[in-house]
Amino acid sequence: VTTSRWLVPFAVMALVVGACAGPVASPSATPTGTGPATTATPGPTGTQGGEPQQGGTFVFAGARLASQLDPIRTSDGESFRIFRQMYNRLVEIKLGTIGELDPALAESWDISDDGLTYVFHLRSGVKFQDGTDFNADAVVTNLNRWKNLPEEYQGDAEYYEAVFGGFGDASNMVSAEATDANTVTMKLNHADPQVIYGLTLPCFSIVSPAVLEATHADDPVNGTFTTTATQGGTGFFTLTEYTPDDSAVFVRNDSYWGDKAYLDRLIIRPIAQAPDRLAALQGGSIQGFDLVSPTDYETVAGDANMQLLERASYNTFYIGINPTAEANSALQNLDVRKALARATDRQSLLNTFYGGRGSVADTFIPPISEWYTTDGIEDLSFNLDAAKALLAGAGYSDTNKPTVHLWYPSGVTRPYMPDPKGISEAVTQMWENAGFDVVVDTAEWGSPYLGDGARASKFETFFLGWTGDWDDPANWWDQHFFVNSDGTPNPQFSFNPPGYVDLLRAAEQELDPTARKEAWAKVGAMVINQVGFITVVHGDTAVAVANNVHGYEPQATGTEPMAGVWLSQ
Amino acid sequence: VARFIVRRLLLLIPIMLGLTLLIFTFIHLIPGDPAATILGERATAESIARVRASLGLDLPLHEQYLNYMAGLLHGDFGRSFVTSRSVAADFLQRFPATIELSLAAMIFAIGAGIPLGVFTAKRRGGFLDQAGLITSLVGISIPIFFLGLLLKWIFAIQIPILPDSGRIDQASFLIPRVTNMMLIDTLLDRNLPAFIDAVRHLVLPALALGTIPLAIVMRITRASVLDVISEDYVRTARAKGMPGSIVDRRHVLRNALLPVVTVIGLEVGLLLGGAILTETVFTWGGVGRWIYEAVAGRDYQVIQSGVLLLALIFVVVNLIVDISYAFIDPRIRHT
Repeated sequence: VTTSRWLVPFAVMALVVGACAGPVASPSATPTGTGPATTATPGPTGTQGGEPQQGGTFVFAGARLASQLDPIRTSDGESFRIFRQMYNRLVEIKLGTIGELDPALAESWDISDDGLTYVFHLRSGVKFQDGTDFNADAVVTNLNRWKNLPEEYQGDAEYYEAVFGGFGDASNMVSAEATDANTVTMKLNHADPQVIYGLTLPCFSIVSPAVLEATHADDPVNGTFTTTATQGGTGFFTLTEYTPDDSAVFVRNDSYWGDKAYLDRLIIRPIAQAPDRLAALQGGSIQGFDLVSPTDYETVAGDANMQLLERASYNTFYIGINPTAEANSALQNLDVRKALARATDRQSLLNTFYGGRGSVADTFIPPISEWYTTDGIEDLSFNLDAAKALLAGAGYSDTNKPTVHLWYPSGVTRPYMPDPKGISEAVTQMWENAGFDVVVDTAEWGSPYLGDGARASKFETFFLGWTGDWDDPANWWDQHFFVNSDGTPNPQFSFNPPGYVDLLRAAEQELDPTARKEAWAKVGAMVINQVGFITVVHGDTAVAVANNVHGYEPQATGTEPMAGVWLSQ
Repeated sequence: VARFIVRRLLLLIPIMLGLTLLIFTFIHLIPGDPAATILGERATAESIARVRASLGLDLPLHEQYLNYMAGLLHGDFGRSFVTSRSVAADFLQRFPATIELSLAAMIFAIGAGIPLGVFTAKRRGGFLDQAGLITSLVGISIPIFFLGLLLKWIFAIQIPILPDSGRIDQASFLIPRVTNMMLIDTLLDRNLPAFIDAVRHLVLPALALGTIPLAIVMRITRASVLDVISEDYVRTARAKGMPGSIVDRRHVLRNALLPVVTVIGLEVGLLLGGAILTETVFTWGGVGRWIYEAVAGRDYQVIQSGVLLLALIFVVVNLIVDISYAFIDPRIRHT
C-alpha cells in the first residue's frame, strides 16, 4: 500500500507529461553547414580583433521578441530587430548615419519634382528565401497590401498610417504599379518628404507574396502569417524557429543577394530585466544584450570580458507641460513656465540618471541630426536665481507658492527615461528649491498614463520622450506640436499660441531643404521659448557584448543588422 | 467508490466556474490594457480604440465573460491578444518544461528531505537536529525569487560553475524538440554532452524551486519518525532482537512516510506557483514564465486561460490522489 501511494503523484505527472508531449513544435535539427567564406565586408563590420572569421552562434538578448511576425503590424524596436535580420526594404538608412539613404531592394529611385511620383528601379536576380522571385509584382503586392490592410489590422499598422496618412482611399498612396519586371511606380496624392525615409523602417519589409498567400496573411480568423516562422524574406538570415517568450533562431542565408553574414546562427532571446541580461552575459549564456542600464555602464566598461558599445543619442527625454490640464494652472503664465525650465538642472539629471553619457537637451532634435539648430532659442538653462526672480516677477513668494502637479509613469523604463521615479524625486527637489509647491503623482504605463492621462489633457506636467524614426524635423516637432485643420492643438500639450499655426503650416509645406530647415527652426524656437515643454536630456543607449564579439556596430536608429557580427575564438 | 467519484467530479463544475469568474475579475482589476501593450507608446487614441474593438475589449465586462465562457464550453481557450497564438497550444508546448523543472525540484526535495528528516529525528535534541531545524525554517521562509537570484549570483557569476539561465547552451547545441523536456530530448538525440549540459542548466532552478518543499518534507519526516519510533510495535520489534536497520526500514520508515506522501501530493500546487518565480529568474521557457510575461503585457486571454489550465491540473491531480486514497483507505469515502 505504501509503495502505491508513493507512486500516485508521479504517475499523475507522468500521465500529464505524456499527454503534453505530442504537439510540441519541432524546429530544424541541425545547424546549417558553413558556406564558403566571403572576403567582402558585409554590412557594418569593423575589423577590430583581426580578420573576420566565419561561423559560430551568437546569442543576443533584448528585452523581448517581436510579439508577432507580420512586419507591417509592428512599430517597436524589439520587433524591428527581428525583421532587420530576415527581410530587406526598398531603401535603407545608410549604416552609421541617421538620415542618408542607401539602396537596398531598390538599386535606385527617382522622385518627380512635384514630389508626387516615385519610380523604384529594383535589384534583379534576387530571390525570396522560399525560392520565389523578387520582382516588381512582389513589391506592388506589398504596397497594395499595406494600403488595403483589413480593418482589424489597421490599428496595429501605426507607421503606415503615420507615413501615408491613412488606409484605403484615405491613404496618401494613390497607386502602385509595376511598369516592367523591375520597375515600380508609386503615386502620391500630396508631396511629403517623409515618405522615402519612412520606407526605411523594418515594418515596411518586403515579404514574399507566395508566403503571404500560403499563410492567408490577411484573413483575421484563419491567417497564420503572424505566428509561423516564415521564409518570406530576402535578408541575410533565415528565421527557422520562433517562440515569442523563448527565442528566435536564425541561420545564415547562403543565397543572400549581398555580402553574406559571418555567423552560422544567430539566436535572439528575450530577457525582460536589464540586471538579468547583464547576469546572463556575465554567466556566459549570452554573448551580448541591448539596453544596458545606465547604472551598469561602469560595470560593463570595467569588466575585461565585456565591451560597452554606446549608441549616439537620437532620443530626447522631456517634461511635458499642459497649462489647460488643471483649472487656474499657474503654468498659464509664461514666466512661471520659464521659471520651471530654469529650475531644472538638466546636467545634474544627466550625471545622476544617465551615467553622464549623452548630452543636455537645449532643444528637441538631438545634435547628431542635420536638422539640429538652436537658432532663435532663448537661454533657459539651469539658473536657480533666475528661476526665483521669474516667480517673484509673476507675483509669487514663499508664502504664496505656485502649485505644480507632476506625473511620472510607473512599471516602466524607457531608453530615454531609465528611472522615472528617481527622476521625479530629483525634479521635485529642484522645483521646490526654486519656490514651487510640487504634487507628485503616478499612473501605470500604457493606457492609464498615456491614452487616459497625458494624451487626454489630464496631466499638468509629465515625463515622456521620443526616439526619432527618421531624420526629419516633422518627425519631431509636427508629431508633438501639431495643430489640426480645425485649429485644435495636440491635447497632450494644448500648445497653440498666437502666430504659431502660420509658422507650422509654412514649415509643413516647405519642400526645399534649406528653407525647410529654417522654417522648422522657427517652429522649434517658438515651442522652446514659449516653454511648450522642457527638453531635458539626449541619453545614450548602449549594447554590451562579450570580448570575442566583433563587428557589432551600434546604430543611433536603435536596431542593428547583425550581418557584420563575427566571433573570434 | 463510484458514487464518491461521481460526487467529486460533479463538485468540479462549480469549482471551475468559480475559478473562471475569480480569475476573470482579478485580471480586469489590473490597470492597463493589452491594446496599449500591443501598440506601444506612440499609439494614438484612435488606433487604441480600433485594437480594443478588434479584441472585443470594448464590450461590457459581462459580455466579455460570457464570450469567454462560450469559447471554453466549446473547448476553445482562445488566442493570445498579443501574439495571436492559440493559448492551449502554447500551454502544451511549454508545460513539459515546467514539469521537467518541477520533477527535478521534487526529486531534490524528496531525495534530500527524507534522509535529512530521518537523520535529525534520530539525533533528536542534538546539535545537528537543532541546526537542521533552523536551516529548514530558513528554507521555508526564504522567498523563491531571492533564493534564485542568490544562487545565480554565487554559482553562475561569482564562482561560475553552473549556467545562469536558459535550458541548454543554445550556442553549442541545437536539440530537436520532441517532448520539450530537455533531458529526454537530448537523450533521444543521443547527445551525451548536451544531456550533461541540460542537467547543469537544471541544477540551480531545481534547487531554488525545491528548497521550500525540501524543508517541508524534512520537517514532516522528522515529526513523523519521532511519532512512530515511540510506538509499541517498534519497541516490540526491537525487544524481539530484530536488527536496528531492519526495524528502521520495515517498521519506522514505512509507517512514518504515510503523512509525507500526503504532503508531497499537496506540494504540486506549491511547485506550480513557485515555477512562475523560478522560471522568471532563470528565464526557463515554461508555463510560469509565459504567464508572467502575459501579466506584464496584460494579455488577458493568456492569463485567464493559462491560470485556468494550471488550476485545472492542480484540481485534477488532487482529485486523482483523493480517489486513489478512496481505494486505499475506505475511511476516506465517508468523510
